[in-house]
Amino acid sequence: MKRWTTKREHQIYSSKLFQALCRSRRTSSSTSAKELHQTADRVLAITAKGTTRWSRAILAAPLTAGTNMKKHKKAKVTVHTRLRKPVVNREKRKLPVVERKLRALRRLVPGCRKLSCNNLLEETSDYIAALEMQVRALTAITEFLSRGLL
Amino acid sequence: MSGRRSRSKQSSVSSITDDQITDLVSKLQHLIPELRRRRFDKVSTSKVLQETCNYIRSLHREVEDLSDRLSQLLASTDSDSDQAAIIRSLLMQ
Repeated sequence: MKRWTTKREHQIYSSKLFQALCRSRRTSSSTSAKELHQTADRVLAITAKGTTRWSRAILAAPLTAGTNMKKHKKAKVTVHTRLRKPVVNREKRKLPVVERKLRALRRLVPGCRKLSCNNLLEETSDYIAALEMQVRALTAITEFLSRGLL
Repeated sequence: MSGRRSRSKQSSVSSITDDQITDLVSKLQHLIPELRRRRFDKVSTSKVLQETCNYIRSLHREVEDLSDRLSQLLASTDSDSDQAAIIRSLLMQ
């Protein structure tokens, strides 16, 4: 996890990302924000060198073209509300708060939906550190690019 | 601290023990800037998990915003000529 905080790692990632963005610009006339974000994620995942689940999940995910595509489409079953029995909010039916939040966390970290608690901690901390570096790198690229215009 | 729920059947592979959650939560607390300041206070489990989720979401949003701005910037510049210079700057930051 330390790797996401070193200057060297930051330099490598930001320059790699910038190169990737320039490359994609040559192939398609414009890069949408979505594609850029995706590129940023993929380069980030590559930097992880396959050591974490979240990075492998990002690289395994299919490339989406521009539009907001959700991976899992939940089929909404519409039930006639009048015929339906009122849902009783019993403690047993609903997941306890902590488990609900744990599930939410699992959904946020790529590839971790069924991960155990211990591994989830590792993945989460690594993922957060990587995201923080991603933010710093994107900020740096933007800065240098806008400086170049002056 | 949440009270221990005693279960007659101990944890199978799928269920999570309270200990594991407590462990996870105390370690997560150090990662979240919001909660690092309150290290010595007792922060509830659900609060830590909530803050972790919030923090990840806010990081996602930040990256989205930056991607948005950057994509616009890239579209409006012809950076091919400056590419080398920019990469050099990035490697020296």
